[in-house]
Amino acid sequence: MENSQYEVLSPWSEADPVPLQGLSPRLDDLAGKKIGLLCNNKRAAPIILEVAERLLKEKYPTAETSYFYARSFSVSSLERDRKEEFDDWLKGLDAVIASVGD
Amino acid sequence: MSAASSKGMPVVRVVPETIISESTVVADIEKAVTAVFDGVIDALTRPLTADEKSPKPREPESSPRIIFKGSLEDVNRFFYQRGWTDGLPVIPPTEDAVVEMLTGTDLPADHIVAELEPRRGKVTVEKMAINAVMAGCLPTYMPLLIAGVECLSDNPVSGMMAASTGSFSPFWLINGPIAKDINARATYGATSPGDIANATIGRALGLLTKNMRGVRKQIEDMGVLGNPGKYTWVAAENEENSPWEPFHIDRGFKKEDSAITLMFPQSFQQMMPFGTDDKGILATVVGSLVPARQGSFALVLTPTNATSLANAGWTKQAVKDYIVKNAIVPQGYFTRLGLPEGVSFDRGDVTGPGSGPKIFTPGPRNPEPVQVYVFGGFGSWMGFAQGGPPPVTRKAELPKDWVQLVAKYRNIVPNYIRY
Repeated sequence: MENSQYEVLSPWSEADPVPLQGLSPRLDDLAGKKIGLLCNNKRAAPIILEVAERLLKEKYPTAETSYFYARSFSVSSLERDRKEEFDDWLKGLDAVIASVGD
Repeated sequence: MSAASSKGMPVVRVVPETIISESTVVADIEKAVTAVFDGVIDALTRPLTADEKSPKPREPESSPRIIFKGSLEDVNRFFYQRGWTDGLPVIPPTEDAVVEMLTGTDLPADHIVAELEPRRGKVTVEKMAINAVMAGCLPTYMPLLIAGVECLSDNPVSGMMAASTGSFSPFWLINGPIAKDINARATYGATSPGDIANATIGRALGLLTKNMRGVRKQIEDMGVLGNPGKYTWVAAENEENSPWEPFHIDRGFKKEDSAITLMFPQSFQQMMPFGTDDKGILATVVGSLVPARQGSFALVLTPTNATSLANAGWTKQAVKDYIVKNAIVPQGYFTRLGLPEGVSFDRGDVTGPGSGPKIFTPGPRNPEPVQVYVFGGFGSWMGFAQGGPPPVTRKAELPKDWVQLVAKYRNIVPNYIRY
């Protein structure tokens, strides 16, 4: 048995390539822009965004902010449960800072 | 990064920060966010590179079907170094062994049972059989493995559960006649080592989580403490000695169906009830549930406990209702701990407000946050399996020649020498 040779099959599955997408265009400047603050329901998330909002407004006093509070941990739950509401929120924004709080 | 890549965004801008998982220390968060905020501004405003605008497609992954040839030790070292094992030795998945494993299902080898998040790896019947061989399964476990993959696929957050900092572990409950056919343990030590079915069904589904779902430790799986249940955590319900209908009937299946249920507890706590009558058992349950717990809850009763309750007139549903109604946060609980009253708890219960006097809040997403499983031997110890989303149950489809298959493998049982 010591010298037995085993020809073995791969346990690693195939996965189809998914359509790729690049990053959204960047902003030249945040002054006067409307920045979304996307907050999941982990407890650090709102604290992170409140600090970020304060720093943002210190640096860009004319920037506006708008919060969206997810009721779950994951963005996929937004896509599943509140897509219309979430998409409406995104429409008015120039950029989003998301806080996962994890 | 793997999560973004699997959703088609292989290039993302990451600003590393130092906030620890689940932190509540405002000063630490303030300091950490301040330290990296210029980086966040830079990530939002620095012009995109060509690759960020239009990522280059990766070469399609193509793993040759025959991946390696070598000795038992060589195969194990090769698989381990590829990150394909759970650290324990595996059985080499040779063509012959996989062909034998495939006798456990009538589905064709190339049938895709699911594409599992987050990697969206194709779970073909053959790939399942390969991982089942590695885990040490017998072919008669294939129907449960296939149904188990369906449970993983049907649970919308199973990918997240496997990757969470909370170290949620799959727990698999087997119901129906298949449990006896494959000698899945339902009695003493149901979740302890020593029975092939319990040991390898969970193990195979764990290997599959690595090799098809693509959830690997500290790459995608960021569980902080980890969880021994991730090796394997399987029990059959002790239907024979339970006074109540089996769990799969609660889930809408027939008694003669064979089924497997998946939940994702973080923890398994065992305790001795205050008393072994109905009052003592139920008082222990509602008195021991604390607000720091998370998600779904399964009360694990031995047949002894369940019979004690049933003899006092309790149905399973009445037990569940009692727990939902009476598991509350006592008045002054947080004050006594030096915390403000109304501390938010159980964010895992997405249906509820996340705070309030009740531990459980049934809602549309989790109408029954409390379940009752009956397994184990005759004794008074009882258990709490807690955490994660509501359980998912799927029926196991048996192959046409099931009876012959069972006859071939069912006598493979340990014969302990008495001393």
